[in-house]
Amino acid sequence: MKIKKIVSFLLLMFILILVGCKKEGNNLVLRVYNWQDYIEDGKDDEGNKVSNSVIEDWILDYKERTGKDVSVVYDTFETPEIMLNNIKTGKTTYDLACPSEYMIQKMIREGMVEKYDYDGKLINVPNFNEYGSPYIQRIFLESNLSEYAVPYMWGTMGLIYNPQLVDEEDIDSWSIMWNEKYKNMASAKDSVRDTYVVGVMYLNKDKLLKIKLDYESGLLTDAEYNREISLIMNDTSDIAGVERVLKKMKKNIFGFEVDNGKNDIVTGKIAINVAWSGDAVYSMDVAEEEEEVYLNYSVPKEGSNIWFDGWIMPKGANKELAQDFVNFLCQPEIAARNMDYIGYTTSIAGDEVFDLVKEWYAVSEEEEGEYADLTYFFGDTISPESKIDGKALVKVDVRGRQFDAQFPSEEVINRCAVMEDFKEMNDDVLAMWENVKLGDFSIWLSLGVVAGIIVIIGGIYYIKFLRESRKKKKKLNW
Amino acid sequence: MSKIKFQRKHLSIPYAAFLLLFVVLPLILIVYYALTDVNGTISLKNFINFFKDKNKLGLLSFSVIIGVANTVLCLLIGYPIAMILSNRKYNKSMVMVLLFVMPMWINFVLRTAATRDLLYWLGINGGENPYLATMIGMVYNYLPFTILPLYTTMLKMDKSLIEASYDLGAKPYQTFYKTIIPMTMPGIVSAATMVFMPTMSSFVISDIMGERKISLIGNAIQFNFDQSRWHDGSLIALIMLLIIGIITLLTKNIQKEENVRGGLW
Repeated sequence: MKIKKIVSFLLLMFILILVGCKKEGNNLVLRVYNWQDYIEDGKDDEGNKVSNSVIEDWILDYKERTGKDVSVVYDTFETPEIMLNNIKTGKTTYDLACPSEYMIQKMIREGMVEKYDYDGKLINVPNFNEYGSPYIQRIFLESNLSEYAVPYMWGTMGLIYNPQLVDEEDIDSWSIMWNEKYKNMASAKDSVRDTYVVGVMYLNKDKLLKIKLDYESGLLTDAEYNREISLIMNDTSDIAGVERVLKKMKKNIFGFEVDNGKNDIVTGKIAINVAWSGDAVYSMDVAEEEEEVYLNYSVPKEGSNIWFDGWIMPKGANKELAQDFVNFLCQPEIAARNMDYIGYTTSIAGDEVFDLVKEWYAVSEEEEGEYADLTYFFGDTISPESKIDGKALVKVDVRGRQFDAQFPSEEVINRCAVMEDFKEMNDDVLAMWENVKLGDFSIWLSLGVVAGIIVIIGGIYYIKFLRESRKKKKKLNW
Repeated sequence: MSKIKFQRKHLSIPYAAFLLLFVVLPLILIVYYALTDVNGTISLKNFINFFKDKNKLGLLSFSVIIGVANTVLCLLIGYPIAMILSNRKYNKSMVMVLLFVMPMWINFVLRTAATRDLLYWLGINGGENPYLATMIGMVYNYLPFTILPLYTTMLKMDKSLIEASYDLGAKPYQTFYKTIIPMTMPGIVSAATMVFMPTMSSFVISDIMGERKISLIGNAIQFNFDQSRWHDGSLIALIMLLIIGIITLLTKNIQKEENVRGGLW
């Protein structure tokens, strides 16, 4: 009897605890869905908690401003495709998610995204209007994304390479992936979009170089040149051509990779890797620190792709809370903290970010180096005192490495365009990629296998038949 | 409320629920997705398209070839090892068995990644020889699955039959294929099924060892699900399921023959 009472008491407690938990859920909750390791967590290199994380600071800040308690549910995803699947099928609705540009476009097309409060400027995210990099703001406006998303991190796509194994004159073109001289030395990305860009750039390289010449001789303005590149990159009329060149590339490269490439280039398995600028910086850092290998990064002359991740509000989101959080992230101080932690390039300009860039890369006035001009990125968001001759200049000693990967020059930016979602061509592009990835097979292979199976099964039954008739004969003889 | 009397048959409820939830329901979902299109209408279009597409059929055939090759290699390597292991003379303390089975205790993704580095160090890399590297990775991963069933059947083998065959004047090779092989047939069949089917549908080993340049039918399933194309992915999964079902039926047939002395072999 006593045991029964104790058990029922424990059960009751358990239920009460469960109910208690549920009650807490009635408070304000912000559900955030982000890439892994994509926000500052207040920990040092060893993983010890040393300060408040960005999220905790926002919770405190919100309480201070509004007097309301808020909690954050923070989940992470590995690829935007997984994120999309989970948002489509999942029971939890998220208030904020941070997918890549093409996924944002796709979700907008499918009507899955809530608009920000917008009247030409973001009403409830004033920090972005004030501190968002003028360059990024322009790109967002041109891509018609301003109403739907606020950018978080961005960068370029290029080639990371080991200068000891690769000639400088070969690396400035995507053709290097097809160059027999570098057979089995390069890795491409195992992702439709990233490798499609490489293919389309190679396929149109003559056209692109002609435009480049026109641009250099002054026939085209910056904007016109950029638009031409964007048109070529987003032209899906010659998918068969891309398939052809990518199949050829597959024979020449070491392999495709998702995240092995970062390590493989450090350990020397490969010498060239298609990489996003953020990952490139990471690879360069690791190679330098652990193996004393010095890697470089270059954006090929034909042009390349600009990527960014942005905060969107899925349908049904708590818009008020979500915009408040995004606004918090757009403070230069917070953006600098996130940039410091993630190592990518933030979309927010401002003094704190500029200071961090200088802290990372700038050499002192006396040391040798050259000035890199980041005015296009920082514009008027930084105080005039930190400018030199009205320009946002950083004195750096080495070029073509981390600094240039993280903050491409204006010249590089001019030949980079945003690659759009494939829209109605999506299935065709996927089919193309499937053919490239899964391989081409002749019908004879299938016929041969079927014939082989028939022969084997037929043979087995034939042997069986022979044995049985032999047995019967034996019986008859007896 | 009348008291529900606990009966013995109520014990089966959890199992029935488990089967329903985790076996029957997923199967129904796969069949549903395989036989419908994006709009949810029932159509056999996916099915017909699969068998019209020479690349898909080719991929399936290629997977069959890799599966057969892996099975044959595993049996060729595993059979002698299992024989040695089952011989008390060489394997007194079972340490040898442990050594061969131990790799199974390590997470196989990790193990494959390590194999990749090891092979690179030995000069065989997936970039240059994707087929060779993939085959090595496959054999290495599935060898324990071959050795274990063979080893257990060989332990149970009646040694006196082998002696009898010698006494009746059989030469060693005759003893081997007329006595030992028929007696270990159940082990061979279960080893073969344990290797062949997972090989065809695996995608991690071919991805890691072949530097993602080699694809098996498993990669095709994963590819489709990654791209949110559930209908196409489910269809390939269903076709795999049918193939596995047919093979199981066939092997069952062979094993049944087994009980009637000798059977096929």
